[in-house]
Amino acid sequence: MFKRNNPVFEMLSPADRELYMSMVKKGASRREFMGYLMAAGATAAASSTMFSSISDAWAATPKRGGRIVMAADQHGPNDTLDPALFTSAADYFRGRMYYGSLTRLTKNLGYEPELAEEILSNDAATEWTFKIRKGVEFHDGKTLTADDVIYTMNRHMGADSISNASSMVAMVDRWEKVNDYEVKAVLSSPNADLPIALGTFHFKIVQEGTTDFTTAVGTGPYKVKEFKPGVRAVGARFDNYWGEGGYLDEIEHFGIGDPVARLNAFLAGDVDGMVNLPPKAIAQVEAAAGKEIWSLESSAFINIACRKDMDPSGNHDLIMAMKYLMDRKRLVKGVYKGQASIGNDHPIGPAYFDHSPDIPQREMDPEKAKYHFDKSGIGNTRIPITAAEVAPGTIDQCLFLQREAAKIGLNIDVNKVTTDGYWGSVWLKDPMCVVAWNMRPTANLMMTLAFKSDAAWNETYHQDPEFDKILVEVRGVTDAAKRKEMYHVLQEKIHNENGSIIPLYRNYVDAVSSRVKGLTHVPLNNFGGAESPVTMWVDDA
Amino acid sequence: MTQLILKRLGIGLVTVLAVSLIIFFGTKILPGDAAQIRLGQSATPENVAAFRARLGLDQPYIVQYLAWLKNFIQGDLGTSLASDVPISSLIADRYHNTVIVSLLTAAIGVPISLGLGILAAMYPGTVYDRFLTLISVSLVAAPEFFTATLLVIFFVFVLDIGNAIVVGSTEGKGLFELIDHFALPITTLCFVIASQLIRMSRAAVLNVMSSPYIEMAILKGVSRRRIIFRHALLNAIGPIVNVVALNLAYLVTGVIVVEVYFGYNGLATLIVQGVQTRDYVLIQGLGMIFCLTYVILMLIADIAAYASNARLRHPK
Repeated sequence: MFKRNNPVFEMLSPADRELYMSMVKKGASRREFMGYLMAAGATAAASSTMFSSISDAWAATPKRGGRIVMAADQHGPNDTLDPALFTSAADYFRGRMYYGSLTRLTKNLGYEPELAEEILSNDAATEWTFKIRKGVEFHDGKTLTADDVIYTMNRHMGADSISNASSMVAMVDRWEKVNDYEVKAVLSSPNADLPIALGTFHFKIVQEGTTDFTTAVGTGPYKVKEFKPGVRAVGARFDNYWGEGGYLDEIEHFGIGDPVARLNAFLAGDVDGMVNLPPKAIAQVEAAAGKEIWSLESSAFINIACRKDMDPSGNHDLIMAMKYLMDRKRLVKGVYKGQASIGNDHPIGPAYFDHSPDIPQREMDPEKAKYHFDKSGIGNTRIPITAAEVAPGTIDQCLFLQREAAKIGLNIDVNKVTTDGYWGSVWLKDPMCVVAWNMRPTANLMMTLAFKSDAAWNETYHQDPEFDKILVEVRGVTDAAKRKEMYHVLQEKIHNENGSIIPLYRNYVDAVSSRVKGLTHVPLNNFGGAESPVTMWVDDA
Repeated sequence: MTQLILKRLGIGLVTVLAVSLIIFFGTKILPGDAAQIRLGQSATPENVAAFRARLGLDQPYIVQYLAWLKNFIQGDLGTSLASDVPISSLIADRYHNTVIVSLLTAAIGVPISLGLGILAAMYPGTVYDRFLTLISVSLVAAPEFFTATLLVIFFVFVLDIGNAIVVGSTEGKGLFELIDHFALPITTLCFVIASQLIRMSRAAVLNVMSSPYIEMAILKGVSRRRIIFRHALLNAIGPIVNVVALNLAYLVTGVIVVEVYFGYNGLATLIVQGVQTRDYVLIQGLGMIFCLTYVILMLIADIAAYASNARLRHPK
């Protein structure tokens, strides 16, 4: 987006750059501008080039002002401004408008300092020190100090924490205040990725002592102008925001649950952005003037989880047969219209830093499937899969599988249920069910959450002490080659032994009006990983 | 008359209480509870338990119900389990949308439909009557989202006027601005209620027209217009008011499809969200409002029928 690395423009001294930029900003015409430069001795050609390059740079420079309306999908009376309780993409987006966090995640899932201006750890990664940025102001005028950070972090600690993200910082033993602008996390086991975890949605810094979350007093670029759960949230620019960003006068954000209504609103120009563009509408948006697809290549995935501790869902040969019957290419092309990449029965897709490209891709292979099916001894027993449309394609993957399975004599029943209450009554309970996972910032976190033997969300109930051992060990490994090898083994083990059938890694596909600039691409959630509120601006010129 | 109203109110009260019990235990049969749903996919047994204790969901059902009832009688609808916000403020945000849309729809839709229906009854069997019948029967058959889709395609994407959804807030808007604000939902709902009202008012008037006293009037040489407005209409008011009341109740409680399609927040959407989040306090509060709306509207309809019918007023 940024064209500031234009050589002509780069060659100028900062002072000249500033001067010329301000001329363009004030609306100098090409003629006036060239007149000025030529009077200073430049040739006409050089002056003209200079004008273009500065105009381009100016066009890519965020401008202040304007208002945008962004549409999430689900919202409702359970919308919250308490970061520890965030559950939806809408919560995450609002959280980014109103709050700040210690670190900020980047496009390739590294981190950069935000409210912590310096982050240090000991060699073993068991002690992390965060130096807090000075002069950061909350919306009510109070200055950010270590007490606010300690208060925020302690809300995620302890057995009685109601935080949705307590598991991400479970290895932190305690938070200590070093002085007013320095805090220290003491870990019970090493974690080199702690600063990345702290850049995710739930670790937004709240003010010390906050218990009332009907409004949000944060350090974010926008302050709460209006917040009504399930109705709308409006953020107005916070004039004392410490950093770069917060260019818009106002952001309005609300949910339109119905995908057709959301698409209508977007195409009619009532909203400037929408989440979760239905795959069928991709071509329509691409053809519309002034509308763009905002797609993030992610390693979020959909899968069928087979419980290894039950019969027959735990039958290894049955699982292998199903893996070989999955028509991955057709799902990616037909259901996702190409906005996904082919899955390989392990959760660490290409968007992860630790993705291993050396595991052979599993293709649909009816012969191998037949071999495993015969070996499994399932015969005529009907195999039930519980399915709900928790993400696009979660039901389709079962129907595709059912059709291919019938050809080799494997009988699969697809029991469709509603998404309502699905996570409480089906997931982790039924022998085979569909699941949709968001991408996590690191491979280790993803596997710790859902694939470690003792993980609360080990949905396949697969037990493998060796896997667990490597997974914990690799957290402290600093040698790149060794780390790569270890992650390869972990992914290969899931690929071959786990009960999770992962047909594809899905992109986050949103749509946005061309007037909105400064989009982010952090692949963890919709609207650029919910990081976009800070950087978005509008170009109405 | 007073006796009738008191009796009706008594029955209404019992109905409300019975409904509150049914709703309460109905919500408890649903899989999952508010704590589990609120924590979603990321719930662990520990934080679900912590949350349950915080929301009071670990108490026995009967204790929960009685606590709710006690608050309700004192006029306190309680606090939402899904968001810690007072139910009254959740409802207030949506109540005015629902009231505005219902009242405007009724104010525009009811007179037009009744007028068209009575006109059809005045000239039965004519081209006008047949045409109106065709239109209203087609509209009865068309689901709301279909009507809404046609309206959006025509007004927004063909004529390029108006918004595909309801955007912005209603604050500080006058009557005509409000009609403009909710133009498409109101139009959709007018079509929905019109079809039924036209059919019913036509049928009610025609039904009276076939009675002996009208025949007498015809034989006396009274003009058709005078027969209808002077003699027939008064006797047809009872059934017509009933249909109008039912439609009004529907506008307050049942327009979920229209609310979802046009993306505005009303009470019908709120109760669905309440069920999805297993927020029994919210469901109870709304259930009571809906129930009271029905009871009161039916009471008004009964009184109107009673007042317009001399035989009911002066029983032998």
